[in-house]
Amino acid sequence: MAFPLKEIESLLYRLITAPNGVAEGLLAERNLSPGGLGAIVRGDARLSAAERVDIYANMYFYRLLEVLKEDFPATAAVLGADNFHNLVTGYLAEYPPTEPSVMYVGCHLAAYLRDHPLRNAAPYIADLARLERALVDVFHAPDAPALEAGQMRAISPEDWPALRLRTHPAHAILDLEWRVAAVLEAVEQGKESNEPAHETSWVLVWRRNSRVFYREIDAVESAALERLETGAAFRQVCDLIAAGAAGADPVIEINRRLERWLSDGILAQPARRRAPRK
Amino acid sequence: MKRSDFPFLGFGVGLRRPHYGHVIENHPRVDWFEVISENFMVPGGRPLEVLEAVRERYPIVMHGVSMSIGSADPLDRNYLRDLKALARRCKPAWISDHLCWTGVGGRNLHDLLPLPYTREVVDHVAARIRRVQDLLERRILIENVSSYLGFVSSTMTEWEFLTAVADEADCGILLDINNIFVSAFNHGFEAGKYIDAVPAERVVQYHLAGHSDHGAYLLDTHDHPVRDEVWTLYERAVRRFGAVSALVEWDDHIPEFGVLAETAGRARSIYESVRGAGAGRYGVSSERDREPALQAHHRA
Repeated sequence: MAFPLKEIESLLYRLITAPNGVAEGLLAERNLSPGGLGAIVRGDARLSAAERVDIYANMYFYRLLEVLKEDFPATAAVLGADNFHNLVTGYLAEYPPTEPSVMYVGCHLAAYLRDHPLRNAAPYIADLARLERALVDVFHAPDAPALEAGQMRAISPEDWPALRLRTHPAHAILDLEWRVAAVLEAVEQGKESNEPAHETSWVLVWRRNSRVFYREIDAVESAALERLETGAAFRQVCDLIAAGAAGADPVIEINRRLERWLSDGILAQPARRRAPRK
Repeated sequence: MKRSDFPFLGFGVGLRRPHYGHVIENHPRVDWFEVISENFMVPGGRPLEVLEAVRERYPIVMHGVSMSIGSADPLDRNYLRDLKALARRCKPAWISDHLCWTGVGGRNLHDLLPLPYTREVVDHVAARIRRVQDLLERRILIENVSSYLGFVSSTMTEWEFLTAVADEADCGILLDINNIFVSAFNHGFEAGKYIDAVPAERVVQYHLAGHSDHGAYLLDTHDHPVRDEVWTLYERAVRRFGAVSALVEWDDHIPEFGVLAETAGRARSIYESVRGAGAGRYGVSSERDREPALQAHHRA
């Protein structure tokens, strides 16, 4: 073959993903043979070789733009169509897809936005993208049976302090600089979103019956859930909640939070232990 | 391989997200579903729950878009491991992917790009399909793609290339009738020749879909009804190939499920008008292989 397969595929890859189009991508191909692209890709009266490659370049960009719009509807709404388009152009150049599924195309968008000039116009945009990405991740996170209230009640109260409850794998706790949950909520409801408060906030994202939910939580709940994640005993979690009860009855506070976790499916049933081999 | 190694599933529809609820709740009358493998190669959540529910009632086929069998990169072992794990879980009647490359250098274009039609590339791709088949412990199907460019270095037609790869790899063919029509227009060949030339015994499945007309070229967008010219080609295929399972794909501007089911019904009607009334019933195979077609994938 005149051109090895790897050379052909690599050239087409570079042209299709060239941020400013195939024509500009071709200018950067200094090692291309004298026949140029036409010596590799067949052109005809209807479409030149470059125009044919351009069809793929357009499909590449617009397909991924659609995927990212779907995964980040609030980020796209806040930035507006043109800004989002330009954001995606730069993002794909910096983080080209490497995974077999388009599900992972947007996994670096929040990190990319951290130092992006668009933050000048919407300083909270990276936090918003992070929250939207968490919704996608939690949607596909591993399954596990949720711990139900009845199962918890069936455990003898004297055993509760030493219990090591585990959080459900389909959840995430985000600590954010901006209160962006309100922005996402507004966009979801089709309302105009305002710039959120520049305050530290924690957002819990979880899945219950295949649906993904999110809500702001306070510092105490965030710390308590993180303590559960590290495998702490329930007693230690209770101590933390009691210390943060701020004048409220600690027992009522502990019960209130536990009930909510159980009804939301934030806790998973304990993993079954394998019977020891005899 | 021969076609009778695979069951005749009848007339199915590609399972897409907007229809998940309808399919699970109403159990519409279609013979089978094809799922996009990558959409279900996830740790957990709704997609896998849906897959479990659907496969309890319908035969399932896994159709992939990222095997990149024609890439110059090494085969992605992790991808193949995950694909095999999904197959173990959903027990598909078969697994298919495309005769194309989707990325190189560890990057993925998420598109189906054509290959140079040369002897060297036939050997490269066929060897890789054989390795995939060994790893998956089953024969796979490869699908002809719609293409918008061709290579100066090609020394054979697309159908000769497809035939050579399938013969050398000893795999099945998923013949996309719409892709033949689209590529025929884009490259100026006669679509009927393609249908007449592929090895009949290797054709196990058809795809039927719509495309969009951009004047100078046709684009395989799966966002329109199947064009009359594609139905005519399908009829020609039915006359030549006999009992081959057919599937309707619709990926953009997806209409209500009933529209897809009607399209699958039209495929069945055409099939029965050629092969005889009742021939298109699920589980009835060709005249040649009327023994029970599929024991492992019966309908609940």
